[in-house]
Amino acid sequence: MSKLFFLLLCMVAQSCCVAQKKQLSMPVVFQNICKGEKSILNINLVNAFEENYTITKFKYYVSNIKFVTDKKIKNAAGVYLIDASKKNIISIMVPSEKVSGISFLLGVDSILNCSGAQSGALDPLNDMFWTWNNGYIFFKVEGNSANSKADLHRIEHHIGGFKGNNKTMTEIYLPINSKVLLKRKKLVIQLDIDKYWNGINKLKIAEMPVIATPGKPAKYAANNFTGMFSIKNNKKIRIEN
Amino acid sequence: MKIKIIIYFSFFITAALLLISAGKKNFIPTPIKFVVPKGFPSVATNIFLKNKLTEEGFELGKKMFYDARLSKDGEISCGSCHQQFASFSTYDHDLSHGVNNSFSNRNAPALINLAWMKEWHWDGGINHLEMQPLSPLSAANEMGEKLDTVILKLKADTAYVRMYKAAFGDATVTTERMLKAFAQFTGSLVSADSKYDKVKRGEATFILPEQKGYEIFKANCNGCHREPLFTDNSFRNNGIALNRFNDVGRQTITQDKKDSLKFKVPTLRNVALTLPYMHDGQINSLENVINHYTGLDTNFINLDPLLKKRINFTDKEKRQLVLFLYTLTDTSFTKNKRFAP
Ligand code: HEC
Ligand code: HEC
Repeated sequence: MSKLFFLLLCMVAQSCCVAQKKQLSMPVVFQNICKGEKSILNINLVNAFEENYTITKFKYYVSNIKFVTDKKIKNAAGVYLIDASKKNIISIMVPSEKVSGISFLLGVDSILNCSGAQSGALDPLNDMFWTWNNGYIFFKVEGNSANSKADLHRIEHHIGGFKGNNKTMTEIYLPINSKVLLKRKKLVIQLDIDKYWNGINKLKIAEMPVIATPGKPAKYAANNFTGMFSIKNNKKIRIEN
Repeated sequence: MKIKIIIYFSFFITAALLLISAGKKNFIPTPIKFVVPKGFPSVATNIFLKNKLTEEGFELGKKMFYDARLSKDGEISCGSCHQQFASFSTYDHDLSHGVNNSFSNRNAPALINLAWMKEWHWDGGINHLEMQPLSPLSAANEMGEKLDTVILKLKADTAYVRMYKAAFGDATVTTERMLKAFAQFTGSLVSADSKYDKVKRGEATFILPEQKGYEIFKANCNGCHREPLFTDNSFRNNGIALNRFNDVGRQTITQDKKDSLKFKVPTLRNVALTLPYMHDGQINSLENVINHYTGLDTNFINLDPLLKKRINFTDKEKRQLVLFLYTLTDTSFTKNKRFAP
């Protein structure tokens, strides 16, 4: 009897060790800001073109998120729907090699756009799927602005498109100060919505209140995706949070 | 003492695990083999590889297909617009009735051999058969219901809960399962037993005018309405002018002017039953469809190259062509009890 128990104990101990050998993971927080402002929903905001606006809904997909090292890293599974009305924390494995940055796709790859019925982040219940022109909406801003000439002064930017010239999913790469990574308990990626309107391309609400299908205007807007993101306190090593 | 507790505890866990796995094993839905009819090409991408076709899934899909309660006002089901006797098109309606006295702005196509297509709807806006129901369920001029409400309605109905359990192993109703079950039904709507098929299989012969019509068909129509599916599933402009809805067809999806007024080549199987014709049902008879082709303005902007050469038929040839098109009717499909509510 005691022998049997000893055996059991060994097995348990072994499985614990295996578990401990696992790579460390780090929480990556997606924080949506507007200039200095830490929250963006349902408050008055002003863009670079002096357009006052309010955002009521703000959601986007993040996939294939991983730390970048010199070694080639295989694609990461997992699609996340970042929603400004929620806390958005993704746990990512930290490789043992020296990390130079973090990369992810804003949007989802073309295969996932035509794989049929899916659950989780890709459940059409999340209201991020075009039912008449199938494909996921990668990036959604809804709100209003006196400058919008659309019905009810609406702002409705539904940006997506995964085929040919209309592709808008965007690979984002953010370099990381590797010392920062060692000191931190978590990594905060900030999206500054102000830079969405005022990026490489200038998106005036007065001119483009509504983008609702893949195509040229969506592509034009998506060119601003890369500039929206930065890592919070990438230079300051000591500061937590 | 402690040791004893630990041992008992581990026994308990093992037993529980065994029980759970035994429960899973009890779940064996009845598989259905999807058969490619003799002479048909293999399916484009087999949707039933990932979505295992089963009797229970098919029955669930069928029940939902005929259930008007899923619509906003409880009046319209998929089957209201897709009537079996009309090969699952809306018989004798250019447009179909949706909820609250609305109308669809396109003609409801026949639902046949959907598993061989890669894109659905007249403009190809649907990229996977499983995703197709989202469009009619939510469109204000079709079933007009919000997706979360549809799911709630299904969850609230004990008959559905039982059927979800039978089809998927547990009673959870999810969008994914709902869509998969719909596709098991729609993807199973295979029609391959018309007179034409019997002739091809050597079980029947064409009478002379049908044979003549077949020759005419092969010479003039087969480039787009390709045998044996009677569509090559491409998008083409066959000279139908812009309608009152400004429906530019494929261009809506691709945003490319080159695709202006291109529509998916519809299958001609069961075409005798699917009147009226074209994406908005503007042509009311097969004779007039043929007159459309013979009377085409060959300078029509963006007209498909295959139609640039003028088509001339004598009245006799027109009749022969129509007689051939009649041989594409498959009543064993329109009367198949398996597809009926
Ligand atoms: C109000 C009438 C109406 C209702 C209700 C309706 N449909 Fe349809 N269906 C149509 C019309 C019209 C089209 C063509 C749509 C288009 O091309 O934009 C269509 C197209 C389709 C197609 C594509 C066929 C092809 O060859 O591309 C499928 C599949 C289909 N419907 C299945 C369904 C299912 C499943 C339901 C129920 C969830 C449903 N329909 C409910 C009218 C309807
Ligand atoms: C260049 C390709 C092409 C050729 C050749 C062609 N068609 Fe078509 N056909 C189409 C397209 C595309 C449609 C749908 C157009 C629309 O809905 O606006 C269509 C629609 C039809 C329809 C209506 C079917 C329905 O369910 O609404 C019939 C019937 C038809 N064609 C018969 C013929 C016949 C008979 C011939 C030969 C004389 C022919 N077609 C040649 C492309 C073609």
